[in-house]
Amino acid sequence: MNAYYSELFSFHLPEVILTGGALLVLAADLLLGKFSSEPVRRALAALLGMLAMGFAAEALSPYLRGDTSALGQLCLLGLSGLTLLLIAGTSRLRHPAEHVALTLFATVGFSLMVTANNLLLVFLAFELSSITLYILAGFDKSSPASAEAALKYFLYGSVAAAFLLFGFSLLYGLTGEIELAELGAKLSVLPASPLLVIAWIMILAGFGYKAAAAPFHLWAPDAYQGAPAPSAALIAAGSKLAGMLLLVRLFAEIGFSPLGPALQTALALLIAASLLLGNVAALVQSNFRRLLAYSAIGHAGIVLLMIGIAPADPQMAFGDVLYYLLTYGLASVGAFGVAAVLEANDARGQKLSDFAGLWQRSPFLTICLLVFILSLAGVPPLAGFFAKFNAFYDVLGSLDSAALTSSPFFWLVLLAIAMSAVALYYYLQVLKQAFIAPAEETRPLRIALPATTALLFAAAGIVLLGIFPEHFLRLLF
Amino acid sequence: MTFPEHLWLIPALPLLAALVGAFTPRAQRKISSAAALLAMAASFGVACAALSSALAQPAAHQVSNFTWMAVGQFNLQFGFLLDPLGAFMAVMVTFVGFLIFLFSTGYMRDDENYAKFFCYLSLFAAAMLGLLVSNSLLLTFLCWEIVGLASYLLIGFWFHKPEAAAAAKKAFITTRVGDLGFLLGLLWLDSALHTQLFYNNGVGFLETAALDYLAVALPCGLLVSSAIGLLLFCGAVGKSGQFPLHVWLPDAMEGPTPVSALIHAATMVAAGVFLMARIFPLLSPDALTVVATIGAITALLGAVIAVTQNDIKRVLAFSTVSQLGYMMLAIGVGCPEAAIFHLLTHAFFKALLFLGAGSVIFAAHHEQDMRFMGGLAPRMKITFATFAIGMMALAGVPFLFSGFWSKEAILHGAHAWPTSPLPFYIGLVAVVLTAFYMTRLMANVFFGAPRSHAAEDAKENSWVMTLPLALLAVCAVLLGFLGTPAWPWLQAQLTGTEISSAPDFAKIFEGPGLLATSIVLVALGLGAGWAVYGFQKRATASEPDPLEKKFPRAWAALEHRLYFDELYAATVFRLNNALAFVADALDRWVIDQAVCFVGKLGEFLGFINKDIDEQGLNAGFDATAGKIRDTAGAYSSAQTGEAHGYLRVLALGFVALVILVAVLSC
Repeated sequence: MNAYYSELFSFHLPEVILTGGALLVLAADLLLGKFSSEPVRRALAALLGMLAMGFAAEALSPYLRGDTSALGQLCLLGLSGLTLLLIAGTSRLRHPAEHVALTLFATVGFSLMVTANNLLLVFLAFELSSITLYILAGFDKSSPASAEAALKYFLYGSVAAAFLLFGFSLLYGLTGEIELAELGAKLSVLPASPLLVIAWIMILAGFGYKAAAAPFHLWAPDAYQGAPAPSAALIAAGSKLAGMLLLVRLFAEIGFSPLGPALQTALALLIAASLLLGNVAALVQSNFRRLLAYSAIGHAGIVLLMIGIAPADPQMAFGDVLYYLLTYGLASVGAFGVAAVLEANDARGQKLSDFAGLWQRSPFLTICLLVFILSLAGVPPLAGFFAKFNAFYDVLGSLDSAALTSSPFFWLVLLAIAMSAVALYYYLQVLKQAFIAPAEETRPLRIALPATTALLFAAAGIVLLGIFPEHFLRLLF
Repeated sequence: MTFPEHLWLIPALPLLAALVGAFTPRAQRKISSAAALLAMAASFGVACAALSSALAQPAAHQVSNFTWMAVGQFNLQFGFLLDPLGAFMAVMVTFVGFLIFLFSTGYMRDDENYAKFFCYLSLFAAAMLGLLVSNSLLLTFLCWEIVGLASYLLIGFWFHKPEAAAAAKKAFITTRVGDLGFLLGLLWLDSALHTQLFYNNGVGFLETAALDYLAVALPCGLLVSSAIGLLLFCGAVGKSGQFPLHVWLPDAMEGPTPVSALIHAATMVAAGVFLMARIFPLLSPDALTVVATIGAITALLGAVIAVTQNDIKRVLAFSTVSQLGYMMLAIGVGCPEAAIFHLLTHAFFKALLFLGAGSVIFAAHHEQDMRFMGGLAPRMKITFATFAIGMMALAGVPFLFSGFWSKEAILHGAHAWPTSPLPFYIGLVAVVLTAFYMTRLMANVFFGAPRSHAAEDAKENSWVMTLPLALLAVCAVLLGFLGTPAWPWLQAQLTGTEISSAPDFAKIFEGPGLLATSIVLVALGLGAGWAVYGFQKRATASEPDPLEKKFPRAWAALEHRLYFDELYAATVFRLNNALAFVADALDRWVIDQAVCFVGKLGEFLGFINKDIDEQGLNAGFDATAGKIRDTAGAYSSAQTGEAHGYLRVLALGFVALVILVAVLSC
């Protein structure tokens, strides 16, 4: 027994470190918080949180070569670390230690989602990350919008989680297995049945919620808009990456059979709806965060497109999704970071018009925004372009070249490319405000050091991943 | 065996120093010179290690190649090459370079652009060393051009002097004329062989397979390999100041004296000779005859003009032209190892002479005209002693001095050349002239009475300037013993042959009395020089030269450097100006008008296009875009914000999907 537990401990060393770190943050704040001011407490909490992240990354490092899920965990740590920097650099909320600790707990959930190989653990990890994110969304107790966002997110999320749990239990009921590998083996010999259909669609609905894919996306605009900026960044970046990597693994381990073509058609419907709805609805948004939310729905369509090829080539799908969502996550965290800096300075930064004259106020911030937005739009040589290119290339490559036009995925790729052109319009709207529109407010912006660091890291990451993608991709393939 | 992989360090260190120098603020200028000196010393260390590694297998060409870029079928390879030729040169350049850098810390002490000066010097050193260790003709060409750029920057370092700025421009443009040939040769080679690598395990262009492939006669009877070799030789003619492109080198003396010593005496001008020695396998007897002819003409021309110059640095400059001619002559007569031997010894004693001249000039408050000097020997004892050693090495005073042995090697080679005896005789004449003009220089500068206040005030300089002189003087003596006929170690290493371990002194006196002849000739030159200038020393600055009194017209012609500059001004410049005028007129009246017409046409088409676009297409697009926006607005208003509405959609979506999948699969 002892040996068994110690092994478990060493396998989950990163998660153990993160949990310990979160407890340490809380304890330190409890002991020292009384004697220090709010900024000091925030800095201390963030520092301890970053240290925990660093040690967790260090614990991961031996597995990086040859284990792509460890790389996924590392990317999640990186995105959460940037969020912590945003908390330290832009947040004015009370209870900073709880804020940091919850972010760490959420990261534990993400990390477990990437590594779980058992339906029960999958669900627990899913819920751990979701519940912490509900709290984080409502963390700004002074803002009614934050409370509303949290409540809607929670209501929607818990129903979706119920769907997911129901789906899982149906699978268990059909096969009597919860280990993913054995589950897959049993499922592959099972005949198609209505129960199986319901189970799969329930699972799809659960993950559709996590990815904010239409028609399970309705929570996203409200949550993005109301949540405090670091929380929104975490929801947009880390949560999505973890959820989608989990879905790739689920599909890879279990496979679609025996429902293959029918499920693919269902997936194709989700993809088409997300692409159309997300990109078109984003066109008329005047709120920066809602714009990001709708654009996220559009991106979810592309991610599901890559997941569609997961049963055929899990390794490639995993790599593509990781590369895509890492670049997307960096750009999202960065974009929310820019908004957060504006909010910290002016107490507003939600509307597109709040970005007017940004170039005069802070060239640094504007250049960062340029990098993030253009990467989201997929303009070369930034990473967003190569992620998109890579996705389309691999999806088309996996199709049967003789019967290309008969596959729905071929048409979906064309739709995605067309929608990229539509997306350019609303992305450029943001940049137009920042660069061209005359400034109402001309006060230069003050950017705290942690926020500068986070923005710089995110922007540098996007540029480097775009110019030298092979160094990252080599780790994956 | 893997040493070539580390060769990149040799040029990389000075490059780093140049970078440091570029970012050094004026107030902390010592950082720049310290970085340059350190980098040079470190490069010297690596170069020594490289030399010892090369000498372990002198006949081998150790290479380390890598792909620089690959675009489709096109694969461009760079590489580094280690053999005794490059390694000897690298050791020489780093050692002489280090001493000259050290000298410069004293010489440039009062210059406000001190940091920039060392940045340029390091850049030059990096490019020069890159050229020496390169295994690719393209990389060589790149370094060759950077060397040219650094030379331009350094000649024009005192750009506020109009002569310096003009000289820099002249040097750059004149060498570009030669570089054009180099570039053409490079392109021809690449199109013929698809490789620019010298050696690459049997497929480099200097290896047998490629040489056989290139041994095809052109319609005019010349082999392709020779034609390429001659085009490359054009580059060498420009860089090494060979006739007829020698005109830039004397003018280059407008740069600071350490620059003249480093670039225009010891290293850069030797690059042409080095290049010819490197591509020697490419050259057939026809091409070699051309090289020998050009070399012989240059050797004689430089020596004759040097007799009449009054600027101390110009005498040395023409002497350099003459000596480089010697080296080319040696390559032309098929003795590249003698050329390199002379190149190495010349680098040391010519650097010594230039630095000595610099020391004199610095002490005499930047007076360069020998007529205003005189009597410096008792005032600057170390400078005088070391300068005298350099002078004797250059003049070829027998046995003790390195120049004697290397010159002897060249004369032996020229004597054995079957094609024509002329280069040999020209070489002999140049020996006399060299001894003569150097005696003239010594007599005018160091003996007699001071002929100006500057010369009276001259004092010996500090150790940073005299130490390099002393070290170079030691080398100017010792280096000769590496290549005496008794024990030709250096030549054996360069050609990769075996050599007996014990010297055989009898060999010195072998041959048809050559040694005796050249000793007599040197003595003749020295004696004549002393007879003309030594017994009756110049008393005032304004009195004419004794030879000028005797042969006023010849003297005037030589003093004006045989009117080469005027000739070029009357021919090449005129032609160039005429062509420029024609080109300008063509551009202005023909091409511009055509472009304007096309522009107008485009404008007209654009106008039509705009109409079509605005009336037809754009309206359609606007309508579509408007529709999309309307859809978006409609959808957006459907997002009510009511939570139970959201959940209803969730349920609906679920049910719809279940029905779809059930229908499709069951």
